Amino acid sequence: MVATLEFQNVSKSYQTATGPIEALRDFDLTIGEGEFISIVGPSGCGKSTLLSMASGLAFPTQGKISVKGEPVSEPVTDLGIVFQTDVLLDWRTILDNILIQPEMRGLDRNAYRPRALDLLKMVGLEGFEKKYPYELSGGMRQRVSICRALIHEPPLLLMDEPFGALDALTREQMVMELHQIWLETRKSVIFITHDIQEAVLLADRVIVMTPRPGRIAEIIKTDLPHPRRPATMETARFISVVAQIRHLFEKHGVLKAY
Amino acid sequence: MTAQARDEASTVVRRRWWPASFDSTLLGLALILIWEMGVRLGHVPVYLLPPPSTILMRILTDYRSLFMHTVVTVNEVLIGFGLAIAVSIPLAAILAQFRPLERAFYPILVASQTIPKVAIAPLIVVWFGFGLFPKILIAFLICFFPILIDALIGFRSTPKEVIWLARSMGAPRRRIFLNFQLPAALPHIFAGLKVASTLAVVGAVVGEFVASDRGLGYQLIVANGMLDVVLSFAILVLLSVVGILLFAVVDLVERLLLPWHISHRPTGQEQP
Repeated sequence: MVATLEFQNVSKSYQTATGPIEALRDFDLTIGEGEFISIVGPSGCGKSTLLSMASGLAFPTQGKISVKGEPVSEPVTDLGIVFQTDVLLDWRTILDNILIQPEMRGLDRNAYRPRALDLLKMVGLEGFEKKYPYELSGGMRQRVSICRALIHEPPLLLMDEPFGALDALTREQMVMELHQIWLETRKSVIFITHDIQEAVLLADRVIVMTPRPGRIAEIIKTDLPHPRRPATMETARFISVVAQIRHLFEKHGVLKAY
Repeated sequence: MTAQARDEASTVVRRRWWPASFDSTLLGLALILIWEMGVRLGHVPVYLLPPPSTILMRILTDYRSLFMHTVVTVNEVLIGFGLAIAVSIPLAAILAQFRPLERAFYPILVASQTIPKVAIAPLIVVWFGFGLFPKILIAFLICFFPILIDALIGFRSTPKEVIWLARSMGAPRRRIFLNFQLPAALPHIFAGLKVASTLAVVGAVVGEFVASDRGLGYQLIVANGMLDVVLSFAILVLLSVVGILLFAVVDLVERLLLPWHISHRPTGQEQP
């Protein structure tokens, strides 16, 4: 299997006014083609640092990052990013918000139009292409930003707490939709979240992080059958994986043990 | 459109049968009526406070000379305002791209702004004479700062995620600026333009006060010298009309350019 993204013993420190802060220590991970990785951990475990390094906007203090075997030395463009906020452009229609991706890459935007419409259909937003972002709800806007991240068919998708700003019901809906999208497109995904259940339900492997400096506490293979459904959360395997992660957090003082 | 999506998108749009500007027009007319009635019923002498009808009559009888002076002032206002736009926005864009440059320039700009334009108007006349240029310069100087500050805030307020996203698309700096930063800054820029549009009139009039032989500011000095209160009021009315029209033009351009912005959405259509 070809490694889409490889972290080799990566550490990262930042210089601040009060001295250096170590955000990440000895992060070692290889993400395979089409693999869904969830990273779950407390605030300040270096998750955002991880993503900015994966996209080539920050560089490790120690260690090496490579994409498809090539070391990263400039912004990586062969990926799609979804943030906690949808960062849609208010002045562009939904369709134009998706097509900005090929536009900025200097690609022919008309060639991507049919695919953009297909993506909108896939996320249940058929007929919304001429609307403006302010006319959509939070969940709908985040679906559009997922379309924007997929339009140029990147091999890798980075998702930074993409459902963190949504209400619980919309969130559950979006998790199932994302799983469906992943089953259909089979991108490599790095999915960062605070939500243990979300992490387990979506992932092939869950990376459990410790508090600052962020280190890998454990890598857990979920071994849950596909396709995953809400009922998957009632299976014994799912419950035991969730419990295992919760114990790890208790051990590292992220969650208080009672 | 799925049923769920339709539900999420359905928002109540309440439109009234009269335009929103009608309310303020009505209020304005009411205030003028109260003024007219008050002055007439209270027997206030015309040389203290003339009634609106007398002011209007004066504008109509003197329209030739008043029109000439108005054209002079409008000319100064438009050139000064236009120059301020042409200088402030590009300067703000450059400063926003290069932080060290901004750190060096910003305090000096602020310091220069604390000097009252009214106080340096006589100096400007000494340096540049009595012609059109000193008036334009004062109008420019007074408009320059609010546009610069608002544009700078606008250009700086791009969220870091947006820049991150743009860079992941491999977009060069120029494209990032034109497609992400500039449109996002426009609402701020227009706020600055609106403030500046009213200040431009002040600048031109100040210039005319100091040294001029034409323009509404000059005419105002003359009217005051002759204790011609009705003419003074007529000029004040014309000055405010000029200011309001310039403001309205800026507002119209904003509406045309930024139909997506929150301040222009139909009432009742909040974010769902």
